[in-house]
Amino acid sequence: MTTINTRMGDGSPLAMSEDELRRDIDDGISQAVENASVAPLNKEEIEYLVELFKRPDRIVGVEPGKEIVLTYDAATLKIKRHALFEDRVNALAMYERLLGADTLELCHIDYSYKTLKPIVSYEQATLEQALSVTHSPMFYGAMPNLGLYTQPDGPFPNPMELLPMGRIAEGRAAYDSMVDAAVEDICFISEIMWESGADGINFDTVGASGDPDFKASLLAAEKLKAKYPDIAIEMGMAGEFVLGMHGEMWHEGVRLAGLYPLDQLKLAEKAGVTIFGPVVNTNANESVPWNLARTIAIIKPCGERATIPIHANMGMGVGAVPVTDYPPVDVVSRASKAMVELCRLDGL
Amino acid sequence: MGVGDPIGMAVAHAQASGMGGMRSAGDLVARVQLAKKLRLVEAKKYVADKIKVSVNELSDPVIMSEVRADLGFGIMMPLGGTPKGLECKFNMARVLDLEINCLKRFKRMAGL
Amino acid sequence: MSENIYEKASRAILEHDEELALETIKIHLDGGAEPMALMNEGFIVGISKVGDLFGSGKLFLPELMMSADVMLVASQALNESMPEGQQSGYAHVHITAATVKGDIHDIGKGIGIALFRANGFTVHDLGRDVDTDAMIDNAVKNGSKIIATSALLTTTLGEQKKLEDHLKKAGLKGQIKTMVAGAPVTPRWASRIGADIYAENAHEGVSGVINAVREG
Repeated sequence: MTTINTRMGDGSPLAMSEDELRRDIDDGISQAVENASVAPLNKEEIEYLVELFKRPDRIVGVEPGKEIVLTYDAATLKIKRHALFEDRVNALAMYERLLGADTLELCHIDYSYKTLKPIVSYEQATLEQALSVTHSPMFYGAMPNLGLYTQPDGPFPNPMELLPMGRIAEGRAAYDSMVDAAVEDICFISEIMWESGADGINFDTVGASGDPDFKASLLAAEKLKAKYPDIAIEMGMAGEFVLGMHGEMWHEGVRLAGLYPLDQLKLAEKAGVTIFGPVVNTNANESVPWNLARTIAIIKPCGERATIPIHANMGMGVGAVPVTDYPPVDVVSRASKAMVELCRLDGL
Repeated sequence: MGVGDPIGMAVAHAQASGMGGMRSAGDLVARVQLAKKLRLVEAKKYVADKIKVSVNELSDPVIMSEVRADLGFGIMMPLGGTPKGLECKFNMARVLDLEINCLKRFKRMAGL
Repeated sequence: MSENIYEKASRAILEHDEELALETIKIHLDGGAEPMALMNEGFIVGISKVGDLFGSGKLFLPELMMSADVMLVASQALNESMPEGQQSGYAHVHITAATVKGDIHDIGKGIGIALFRANGFTVHDLGRDVDTDAMIDNAVKNGSKIIATSALLTTTLGEQKKLEDHLKKAGLKGQIKTMVAGAPVTPRWASRIGADIYAENAHEGVSGVINAVREG
């Protein structure tokens, strides 16, 4: 009997039989069908995944000609995580000319639009310098991060304190105010960075604070597009469905809470977003084959029906990549190949 | 792509499925995606047509390094006397028939 | 097919209908039936469905909070009908919850707490950026059987290990069980540091604590 060596969603090594592999792939697909109301993968796609995991190769890759482009969320922040306190302009040049990055992203270690306001002119100068010595398209990125708008970090009462007390109307009103403030901050930073020459603005981890976070990002995209029709905006999501923190927040006649990637994409397209980054969270309790099958079933409809480029999120803990700081190449390369080849992606 | 150490994440994805950035034409295809909202297949064809290579050659580091050097698009290991940074962006904008945002600012600031 | 009393109780929680919950209890008790049966087969089934629906994005936080309120009312009403010492539910199980020191993220913790309360547990929320020893002191004072921590950053994960170390040092490891949760937290991490319960999400956290309580 062949033993298939793969991993759990937390990266732990895992040996399975072919029957167990097939069972996990089927379970992952069923879970996607049940939760996200998507179509199951077909027989050929399932066989593709079985063969992919049966291969003994340490690293696999897409067929020549099927390569995609990569966006690097918060690239300059990752250098610092290695205790390499490299100047950010140099860090970007390293991503470009050592790692062969297709795109670059300048960001601040405090990765939220709100906190950038007092230091924006320094960020602006760094961006302008970086743009003059690099070649690849450069984003300026941060998170909408509505969590920073509640007391004590921000001016509004915390809905997570109000809601448990049954003060639902007050909690929702706080979220409404947070949306307005966040739109203002996102637009303030984005306008300055676009005027400074950024090739694109990255709204990263959208929806991390639920439906108000998504609403603020959609409104900000619309506002920026109205002012700068050529502005490029990437919207990368935080989770596979929009958490209903408010629950009654609507946009373009659609209730935002509970939206899965395909419906998120439709709203992003309408708002004028240039690149959309759907997410499926990795379940650390399940195997990588389970997670990958589930992820593909959920993301595939986006790739098939998008009118704008789709760069699926495939960092630590999303897109079937294990939840570990040191993602192993055996599973990352398998996830990368399968996502690109089965989901009609434009990038990661 | 998101969090993870660059060897495990950026390098792994780049080797498994990436175009290769300035080693090939990944940065150029990304530019077209951003500037024209084109999906991958259309963006690759656009670039390939403009620089007169086949779509498959766009990901080939040997062919593309030569093409890039000839067109002045910038390469991974640039020598003295060759175009770099903004100079390359001017060449890209002209050959690819694209607007590059920072060049507008450069012209404004330089009074061009 | 008409809805039986258990289905009605479950629906009362799902639709956060307090009146229906109380009416169900009255009919059930007037018929001389076991109070615990209605709790286990009706209300707990309902709150479990609420957890599932929330976990898959089909029900939202305000509704979850409203269901939690109805669950609380139903538990209290059933408990009043039972002799001392035989009360249903988990109100006697105290949980101390906090986001670890150095971490200000509280959304995941808030969702977890809402679901614990919805399931009838008594939760002491210490907030965010909480010192390890403060967690232990509070847990001892309020009689918590569980300390549940959330860490949203890889840079703050270490605080969960610190909690295990401090509990051991204080001779409380085992008496107070630990639950770890948060985006970078994994079963591998939980097992490495010796945490008692790993929660992939809020719903799993509740099941983990229920199992721990049953095991003693």
